[in-house]
Amino acid sequence: MTSKKNVYFKKLLFLVVLACCAAALYQFTDVDINFFSFAMRIRGPRLAAMFLASFCVGVASILFQTIINNVIVTPCLLGMNALYVLIHTSVVFLIGSGSKLSVNSPISFVVDLLSMAVVAVLIYGYLFQKAGGNILYILLVGSVLTTLFSSISTTMQRMMDPNEFDQLQNSLIASFERVNADAIWIAVMAILILVVWLWRQFPLLDVLVLGKHQAINLGVDYEKVSRKMLVGVTILIGIATALVGPISFLGLIIANLSRQLFKTYQHRYLTFGAALVGMVILFAGQTLVEQVFHFGANINAFINIGGGAYFLYLLLRGEKQ
Amino acid sequence: MTSLLLLVSCISVSIGVLDVNLSAMASGNLDQIEILLVSRLPRLLAVLCTGAGMSVAGLIMQQLCRNKFVSPTTSATISSAQLGLLLAILVFPQATLKEKTFFAFTMSIAGTYVFVLFMQRLKCKDIIMVPLVGIMFGNALGGITSFLAYKYNLMQAMNSFLVGDFSLVLKGNYEIVFLILPLLVIAFSFANHFNIVGLGEDFAKNLGVPYTVVLFGGLSIAALITASVVVTIGTIPYLGLVVPNLITILKGDKLKNSLIDTALFGALFVLICDIVGRLVIFPYEIPVNLIVGVIGSVVFLGIIFWKLSSHVPSVHTRSAQTTTKGGCGCDQ
Amino acid sequence: MKIQGLKKAYHREVVVDDVSFEIPEGKVLSLIGPNGAGKSTVMNIISRLLPLDDGKILFQGKELHQWKRQELAKKLAILTQSNHIAMKLSVWDLVAFGRFPYSGNHLTVEDTKMIQQAIDYMELGDLAHKFIDELSGGQRQRAYIAMVIAQDTDYVLLDEPTNNLDIYHATNMMKMVRRLCDELNKTVVLVLHDINYAAFYSDYICAFVDGKIAKFGTVEEVMNKKTLSDIYHVEFEIMNVANKPLSVYY
Repeated sequence: MTSKKNVYFKKLLFLVVLACCAAALYQFTDVDINFFSFAMRIRGPRLAAMFLASFCVGVASILFQTIINNVIVTPCLLGMNALYVLIHTSVVFLIGSGSKLSVNSPISFVVDLLSMAVVAVLIYGYLFQKAGGNILYILLVGSVLTTLFSSISTTMQRMMDPNEFDQLQNSLIASFERVNADAIWIAVMAILILVVWLWRQFPLLDVLVLGKHQAINLGVDYEKVSRKMLVGVTILIGIATALVGPISFLGLIIANLSRQLFKTYQHRYLTFGAALVGMVILFAGQTLVEQVFHFGANINAFINIGGGAYFLYLLLRGEKQ
Repeated sequence: MTSLLLLVSCISVSIGVLDVNLSAMASGNLDQIEILLVSRLPRLLAVLCTGAGMSVAGLIMQQLCRNKFVSPTTSATISSAQLGLLLAILVFPQATLKEKTFFAFTMSIAGTYVFVLFMQRLKCKDIIMVPLVGIMFGNALGGITSFLAYKYNLMQAMNSFLVGDFSLVLKGNYEIVFLILPLLVIAFSFANHFNIVGLGEDFAKNLGVPYTVVLFGGLSIAALITASVVVTIGTIPYLGLVVPNLITILKGDKLKNSLIDTALFGALFVLICDIVGRLVIFPYEIPVNLIVGVIGSVVFLGIIFWKLSSHVPSVHTRSAQTTTKGGCGCDQ
Repeated sequence: MKIQGLKKAYHREVVVDDVSFEIPEGKVLSLIGPNGAGKSTVMNIISRLLPLDDGKILFQGKELHQWKRQELAKKLAILTQSNHIAMKLSVWDLVAFGRFPYSGNHLTVEDTKMIQQAIDYMELGDLAHKFIDELSGGQRQRAYIAMVIAQDTDYVLLDEPTNNLDIYHATNMMKMVRRLCDELNKTVVLVLHDINYAAFYSDYICAFVDGKIAKFGTVEEVMNKKTLSDIYHVEFEIMNVANKPLSVYY
């Protein structure tokens, strides 16, 4: 058993080294020595944002897959993307693109975060209890709301002034180029609070792998744990989305890569693995975007096309018999 | 229901910024007749075709997939049609309606096939898991579509087929929607086949019905209907989900009985939503997309909770018993 | 364990109605009855998978819901049929989960010993490092039983353990149930469809009809022509095989 543990640690270490290399690559490639501190100030927050986003998405995706007991789902089902788009569209639509709320300020970050948290607690906390703990039904409710949100926002976008629409578009596409340094500190605080709140549930996760009945058999309060976890996952995804825009498809890629790499059910390796894989992908991807494409392509492109193709691959491969 | 539909249709024709009334027309007012022929009547026909078509498409898919939550929205049919449309605009910048339609048709059929092929392989055919995977698939395609649109600066063009809207329907640009009519006739004449296939592969084989042919034939019909609507009107969520579910709650699952009702009720539903959208902020319009989205969400949530409160317990007891015969796919 | 006045209804449809019985310690008790008689519901309630509407379940002098979940998990193990695992999990890992109520995720030397014993007891040594989804139905069932053994509880509740197994594996399963009781001194309660397995391998039988107990007693008391015909509404003959009353129905 210890040998197995060693293998996991080695793999984690390998990922850490890889992530550090990618981070260094991103941070120090092609820096003009005269503008060193300036470049650091520009790239530093972006690096931090990518770090936080991959942590949130990686952890959230692994948890989400465990709660649902299916490895091809991603938290994009939770509808946070659509909510983000709706919030931003309605702010621009109602107040205008020049207002304090719609430009990229810590205030808009807090607004995003709070509304997502409210939805998370309302739908995924309260309704979960009402529905007798049937998670899949709750997700269906979530997807109904997603459709509702997006039909409201597409309608607003359609009725919008084209100039304002252009402004809006920029905030609706995920990117690390417009990260706000203050927002990062708020995000760190939010993540810490969340981790403390969920701390006692983490050791129970491994048992959830066995399914509802076996988890109950082993003395786990299944409903409470999965409810708390679901709310936690939603808020984590909310943080990531509020920070950099809709990127939850990233979760599908990194969660599955982590599972393939570690081939275990143990969450302490899977979650950190997913977060690290996410960092490697984002750091390397963003370096490519900045150095090779000179901002001509968007990291979102890699995530969407890569995520879409990967999902298609998972679909066609099917579940192994 | 038919008479109600006729009545509401007349109301629909009479609503608009310009007054249209029968007496003026009878007295030979050519302007009035022109408004009727160029704008009002096409709009009415488009609304009726869309409503009936999308609802029937949903009904067919639910029958064939044996899942009440499958519909063009939840099985990526709409998203793939949108992707197809965008590709058409990318490949032929001056794409005519014909090219767009062709691309949307091909993509929507391909997307639906992929989804159903996957669904058949899914080990755990949970009634909710299937649509959830479909929604994810749709999201994946939607992500690609919006990325391409962003990249090639087609966001606003894309918006025109993301939002379902009848206000732009005029004589000459909506006729693709009539393709729905022959498709509906075919669907109706094969209703029994769909029913049999819906009861399972073994059941169909036993009765000598070619399972695969009927399954994919039926799905193709549903996909084509959906694509024709997306090309001409845009995306209207929920129709294929809500209308058939309401009708089967009332009428049962025998397709021959419920098909016509579904078509009529779907047409009526969209017509009423369209009228509401035109009246709320008259003389401006709210796209029908939003009205259907709001009403559809509420009704659908109602259905979900109705099923939760009345069916979950019986699912519990039933699954406890089907496991005895190894029936529940999840357990193996 | 004492069950008193148990009641469960789904939307006015009563599935379990005023059921009371006591589970005999250190014996094998089988719950039988036709489809929809409520035996599985009763099983799910006493294994705390379903809430009850009315009544009381006393377990070692304390009401079931007053037990701490973790403590209860050391006393009472349940095994149902819905064991779909989507993750990569080896047999050893699965059995190790049996120790979760005792030491969480950090196994002690004692735990490792118990796990090894359970694996040896179920003769799973060769398969210990195979993944659960690579096993056959019978092997998987054995792995789950090994986990229950590692859980080291006084009570074991099994919901239709012979389900989906062929005659060979099902019979071995029932022999295993007997050994759990005779060698490891566990109280075993199971839901069974095959009344002859119930008759041959259990000490007591509780027969349900329409949500009520039709007959509770020793195997000899329940396995007679009249009682069985009343329960199942078909003709029965009782034969004596290897000193046990087995039934033929037609």
